[in-house]
Amino acid sequence: MTGRLDRWADPPLLVLASLADEPRHGYAITQDVAQTMGVRLSAGTLYAVIARLEASGLIEPLESDDRRRPYRITAAGAQALAQESERMSKVASVARQRLSTRLGWAGS
Amino acid sequence: MTPPTPAHSTPPGATLAGRKLLARAAVALYPPAWRARYGDEVSALLDDSGGVLAAVASVAWRALPAWICPRHLHDRPARMRSSVATALLAWSMLAGLGLVFAQLIQLQSLMAPGYVEVRWAHAVFSGALALSVLVAGLGGLPLWLLILRRARREHRARDTLYLLMPVLTPVAYLAGLAVTGRLAGDPNGESLSWFLAVAPAGFAAAAIAAIGPGLALRRLQPQGPALRLAAVAAAVAAAIMAVAAAAIAVAEVILCQWARQYSGYDNFTTPGIYLALVAAAASVAMVSAARGARAALAEP
Repeated sequence: MTGRLDRWADPPLLVLASLADEPRHGYAITQDVAQTMGVRLSAGTLYAVIARLEASGLIEPLESDDRRRPYRITAAGAQALAQESERMSKVASVARQRLSTRLGWAGS
Repeated sequence: MTPPTPAHSTPPGATLAGRKLLARAAVALYPPAWRARYGDEVSALLDDSGGVLAAVASVAWRALPAWICPRHLHDRPARMRSSVATALLAWSMLAGLGLVFAQLIQLQSLMAPGYVEVRWAHAVFSGALALSVLVAGLGGLPLWLLILRRARREHRARDTLYLLMPVLTPVAYLAGLAVTGRLAGDPNGESLSWFLAVAPAGFAAAAIAAIGPGLALRRLQPQGPALRLAAVAAAVAAAIMAVAAAAIAVAEVILCQWARQYSGYDNFTTPGIYLALVAAAASVAMVSAARGARAALAEP
């Protein structure tokens, strides 16, 4: 289903989620987001998001000898991701419950 | 950390070279400070992606927001240097446009007592120009002296020349003007045709004078309090010149209504082009200077 949620996905959240377990560089982020979250991030969108997250102090660059500079999530970024994940879990829970009640949808 | 594992097949040589060229062109659309920070990474990402046209197009498309709403404030010195250089160039063009207005209304006798609004606009422009020159001069002087001293100490002849452009170019222009005026039999420059002939040269001289320090800033990459002071001064000077631009705009609109018997005001085409140039120069100066001041005043 790669790409189906592109319109609705929040790219900064996807990048933070991708960096939650380990540092990654640009190409690795796009691959990880596509494979694990089913969303295709374009190169332009990715670096617009990286610039925004870095300016906000939510991610930080690591030293690198080649052109592929890796990024890691900061403590503030982890906290923001945790809060947003919690909020999304609540939204998902409510959505599943109501869909189940109304349509008899059991979810996956 | 996940190692880079590009999952693409390498295109044939000519195609690969073409795609790399396109990728470089897309990155070149971004502001200098952005390119300095992310240019190599984005190029690497595009290489890893196989230089797919969609990826290149997405990078090119995102260049516009990067100019309009730059997010790379973490590179504050680069942002300030860019802003000071851009604001200086836009400010010079704005001052030149204002001087054209001031000179033309004098040549066309529009400073007569009957044109109160025009006299008022001229007074506002003159006062604002003088004040903004003072602010920009005082605020930029420490930075100018600092990098000029460094350029001389490091024997960087080209940077020294760039930094001296604001002094050398006006002197050369005025000297050329005096000689040309004498040769043309119009030493005081009072004829309209003579004025219109030398005005483009004046804009070229102003542009060269303003671009010189910008190039030196880019090459020498100064940082510190002098740069912050220059960035804040550029914002204040740009704001003052915006007031001058507004006064000129008001006077131009009034002249289009009241002075239709004068050449240039009998239709709105020429004043319209002039006002568009004033608005563009004022907007660039204000936006760029505001970004520089924001970077200067942001928490470290």
